[in-house]
This record gives sequence, C-alpha cells and structure tokens, in this order.
Amino acid sequence: MPIEPRRVRSIAVKEVRHILRDPFTLAMALVLPLMIVAFFGYVMDLDPREIHIMVSDRDNSRASRELAQVFSASGFFRVDRAPDGFPLARILDGEKAKAVLVIERGFGRNVASGVEARVQVLLDGADNSNAGVIMGYLAGVERLASARLTGAEAEPPIRLETRYLFNPELNSRWFIVPGLFAFVIAIMAVLLTALTVAREWETGSMELLLSTPVRPAEIVIGKLAPYLALVSGAIVLVYLMARLVLGVPFRGSHILFIVSCILFLLPCLAQGLLISVTVRQQALAIQLGLVSSLLPSMVLSGFIFPIESMPMFFHFFTVLLPPRWFVGVSRGIFLKNAGLGELALPLGVLALLGIVLVGASIKRFKADLEP
Amino acid sequence: MNRTVRGFIRKELGQAFRDPRMLAMLFVAPIIQILMFGYAVRTDIKNISLGVLAAPDDRMATRLADRAYSSGYFVPVRVSAVNPMGDLEAGRANAVLIAPPGGFSRAFGRGEGKIQVLVDATNSIRARSVEMYLTALGAEVALDSLRLRELPAAGVRFDTRILYNPTMESYIFMVPALAVLILGEILILLTAMAIAREKELGTMEMLLSAPISRWEILAGKTLPFLIMAFINAPLVITAGILWFDVPFRGSLWELGLAAMLFACATASVGTLVSTLARNQQQAMIGSFMFLLMAMMLSGMFFPIENMPESVYWITFLNPFRYFVTLLRNIILKGGDPAVVWPNMAGLAAIAGATAFVAVRRFRQTLN
Repeated sequence: MPIEPRRVRSIAVKEVRHILRDPFTLAMALVLPLMIVAFFGYVMDLDPREIHIMVSDRDNSRASRELAQVFSASGFFRVDRAPDGFPLARILDGEKAKAVLVIERGFGRNVASGVEARVQVLLDGADNSNAGVIMGYLAGVERLASARLTGAEAEPPIRLETRYLFNPELNSRWFIVPGLFAFVIAIMAVLLTALTVAREWETGSMELLLSTPVRPAEIVIGKLAPYLALVSGAIVLVYLMARLVLGVPFRGSHILFIVSCILFLLPCLAQGLLISVTVRQQALAIQLGLVSSLLPSMVLSGFIFPIESMPMFFHFFTVLLPPRWFVGVSRGIFLKNAGLGELALPLGVLALLGIVLVGASIKRFKADLEP
Repeated sequence: MNRTVRGFIRKELGQAFRDPRMLAMLFVAPIIQILMFGYAVRTDIKNISLGVLAAPDDRMATRLADRAYSSGYFVPVRVSAVNPMGDLEAGRANAVLIAPPGGFSRAFGRGEGKIQVLVDATNSIRARSVEMYLTALGAEVALDSLRLRELPAAGVRFDTRILYNPTMESYIFMVPALAVLILGEILILLTAMAIAREKELGTMEMLLSAPISRWEILAGKTLPFLIMAFINAPLVITAGILWFDVPFRGSLWELGLAAMLFACATASVGTLVSTLARNQQQAMIGSFMFLLMAMMLSGMFFPIENMPESVYWITFLNPFRYFVTLLRNIILKGGDPAVVWPNMAGLAAIAGATAFVAVRRFRQTLN
C-alpha cells in the first residue's frame, strides 16, 4: 500500500513538538558536536612535542654534559637531571619521565680515545605511543651526538626528498577534522533515534499510535525526518567551525559533500531506529546504541587508528560499518578534491547500507504488529 | 543492611536479570568489546601501501624497496610511472618512492644519495611515520653498500632497553584503558537512567509517598548497580589480561581497591545526572556528554601531557583519568606508591564530593 505523505507529516510534526518541548535535548544536540570539534581542534594535539627525559650522569665529564646538551638542543626532548640517589627504576615506575639516559663512568674517556662510547637508554614501554616516537628521535640524536663529540660523518648518506601532498605542513587538524564529521554524525544520529520508538513502547503511547491508520513505513519515515534535519543542523555548525575557526581547507564540491552527508546520515539514523524498534526498552536501547556507535565510530572507522594496521579480521568486518566508508569520503572531498569517480564505491556502499537498515527497521516494526 | 534497601536491591537486580537481553548486554557484551577493541586499537602504523618507480636493474633502489616490504611496515602496490600522483589521489598508494633519472645506484656512487618520496599526507601521523621508517631503512641500505670502505666504528652508540613492554605491543598499553571505558560506560548509563526512569513513568511519586526515607531511595537506586560493577570489573579486567597475556606485576588488592573507588565515583556521577534529569532522554544525553569528556580527557587515547595547561587542570576532575593511570601503573609497572596513593585519593575525593552534591540535589527536587 502506498505511503501517505499527510500521515508521515503528522508523525514528523509530533516528533518535532517532542524535540522542541525539551529544550535541553535540543541544546545538547547542537552543543555536543561543537564541544567535540573544540576538543579535537584545540585540546588534542597529535603533532610531535617535547618528551620529558631524565639524565643520570655518573661520568660528569665535559663529553657527558655535551651529550645531554645535544638532547635538549635537538628540540625533541625536555631534559632534566635525575635526582641524586634516586633509584633509576623508580623514575619510570613513578611516571616521572618517559625515558632515562644513563651515562656510565668512563664515557668521556671512551669518546676522547676514539672507542665506541655506549650509553644506556631506558624507555617506558608501558606508554608505547611515546616509546615509538622516542625510538624514532633517538636515531637522529645518535648521529648528531657522534658528529658533535667525535667529528664523525653527520649527514646521513641517503637523503629523502619528501613531498607531502594534500597537507604540505603535516597539520594534524587537517587530518582530524574531516574525519570528525563521521564521528559526530554517527554518535548523534544513533543516540537521538535509539530512544524514539522505545520511549513510545515504554510509556504505552505506541498502542495508541498503532490503533490509528498509520502504517509502519510512515511511522519510521516520520520519525527519521526530524532527526535528519536536526543532525543536518549540527553538520552545518561543525562545517562552519572547521572552515572559519579551525581554518581547514575545503577543496572538493559542496554539493557532493551534502549528498554524501545525507547518504551517511540515513544508515546511522536507521541503526538507532532499528535498535529502538527491536528492544522497546529505553535502558537497553541506550546501552546498545552507545556500544554500537561510540567505540566503533572512533576506533573502527579509520578516523584516528588506521584500519590497515589492524589484524585481517577488521579489514573485512569494518566493511559493514558506515563510518568506515564516510571517513574516506570526507577526507577525500575536503583535502583531495575527490570526485564522484573516486568516491563511487564508498558512496554506493553507504546507499546500500542505508536501504538495508531502513528496510530492516520497517520490517521489524511490521513483524511486531502481527498478532 | 536495612530491609528497605535490600528490597530495592532485590527489585533492581531482579529487573535486570529477568531480561536475558539485558543480562547479555551487562556481562557478555563488555567481554566481547574488550577482546575486539583490544585487537583493533593499534598505535603503530603498519601495512602502508608503497609504490616504487625505479628501473629493474637499479640495485640500490630495489634493495631499499625489498627492505621496506620485508620490514612489515610497507606493502607493495603497482603505481603508474606516468602519473603517480593519480594513484595517491585515488588512495591506491599511500607513498611512492621515485628513483632519480639515470638510476639511484649511479647517483649514490657519485655521492648524491637523493631519492624522492611522494607521500599522501591526509593522514599526517602516517606521513610522518613513512618519512621516519624510510630514513632508517635508507641508512641501513647505505651502510650495507659502504661496508666495503670500512667505516670507523667510533662515536656514540645508544643501548636502548624498553621496559615493561619490550615488544611494544599496542594492546598491552590499550587493554587497561579499554577496561576503564567499558566499565565506566555501563555503570554511568545504568545509574543515570535509574531515578530518571521512575520520574518518567511516574512511579517516583509512589516511592516518595511510601514510608521510606530519601536516603533509602537513593541508596536503593545506586547500590544494585555498584554490585553489578563489582561483578563486572573483575570479569572484564581478567578477560583482557588473560586473553592478551598482559603481564600482571601489581598486587590484586590494590587493583581491587582502585576498581571499587572508581565504581563509587562513577556511580555517584551517574546518580547526580539522574537527579538532574527529568526523563530518560535527558539522563542519557547528560551521561553521554560526561562519558565523552571523560574519555577524551583521560589519557586513554590522547596523551594528557599534550593538552593546553587550562585543560590539563580540568583533567583532575575526571575519575576516568585516575583509573586509567592506576590500572596501567598497577598492572604494567607493579604499582609505584608515588602514583598509586595520590590517584586513589583523587578518586575517593571525587566519589565523596559528587555523592554529597547528588544527595543535596535529590532533597531539593523533592521540596
């Protein structure tokens, strides 16, 4: 039977009233995305920074002091002397520094006599993101120190001439903010819709709604439409903030971006709705909504942690998750001016996921109505 | 324990345990989550697709490529020699190594060891890793071919020892943090919805008119979820530690105390949200905002040391921050007293202060 636009509209109007009656929810729906963007734009800094290390200098010679100097002059490290008599192991145990440089007695003598001068570096492997960065820096510092102390060849014999495309200054904001759209849209859409139908079941108003001639498809569409508008508003806010405040470039087509956002919004909203239709209980719906949106859209989308680095299973599993596709689309349009040709696959998958999830919610809903 | 509170506990636990779906959500989903995300959250960058444009007889360039592919950091892709930019644009390659005209081997022989690299920098972290990996590999290749000329071995040499996690596995670092997030997520939502639900359904009026004190209502609406957390915490932490073979160096009772304090602090925050909210939707949004801030400002994914100073101080209000520090320190480093006790005190202070405010708020709403 055909869908009656008039009935869809009444359901939508009712849902809009419900949203407007609760200014707290409305405000949060708009404040939350801005809060997230502000955090990732300003607070979180993924660019390399100075790492705190401590030097335990048992040699106390000119050469050992110079070595410590090379570390602090490199710009990668903030160097402090380890307190005298403090057990070395407890520097890392007690989180006082990320690494300890141990210069044993005889270091200066070795340097002077042209023997290999060994220095021990203890790294805090419990914080392995920092440990990896330190390891990278150490190779450079080793060469610098050798050059400075012994006059050995400083220049590495192979020089990379690296050209960074699309983001020449390696600005981490340019990397984070386009991916952020996927994160914000996914969690907002799921959280807002996860309660809608469950609430009606719990308070008993669903029985009333069902006794009217409204059809399941009409209820589902009528319930999705207002949230589509609300999250779209949030997208506009995030976009303005990204462009005007954070200065992220936008190189692609705006029309393509709008179409992509809608294609992404649909499966996300439907995901929440499907949960709501299936469990009919708000406490459970919200747990499911959160579990299926927060961590997956942050961790399994490629937003921060690249999917290529994950074990094989995730290369296949993430195919089912809408955010995984949208992160690439958003970055492509923002930074690379990607067109429909390059984005055909992800956009096609998003459309397919949208159809499947909306269809599933309508079907679930129908199944509920049969006696 | 008081009979009324016992009744509450029986009712709330009964309600949760009656529904097998809720039961699965509470006790099975967390374990699946920690196992799954434990594998997925990797801070190391691997499998970067790298194309190489060099003549097949260019031995140095081929050697560099072979080393790159066998290092595990890079995987080979074919790129177009005419338009390598197109491959980067379409995302088919993350980086392309281009030998100079006339071959890299010959250029290196002349002492001009320059090689061009094009990197897709839309992911700035990966771009940096590409540069770092290739520089290191290039130095190895150069050293190999110079070995004939007998370089002097003198100079400063670092002996690097990585403590606590010598193989630098991401999950050893991430599993404790994920446990915090998963436990906090469940507990905050359960407690936040509890009182809000009674308000929404109108049963709160009934409770208030019954001959029970406000204290009993509040305790009765919080304790059952604390009990669930006390079952859940050992379950999730043990599953993570055993499955991923995370070395456990600390003391169990310190870990238990930390988990208990964390549960109390989180339950207090949830109860506070619940007293503020008028219905479940508000409670959900309130607790979600808290959860998101708590996650971002906890140091579990993003290091706290990198944050601006004003935000750095805010992180001290965050119970998740203390528990992440505690779990990592106790599990991986054996629990240094200089870290354990201040962080425990922080959790206790937050639990106490929030519970106090929640009780006052609850009284006010009733008047």
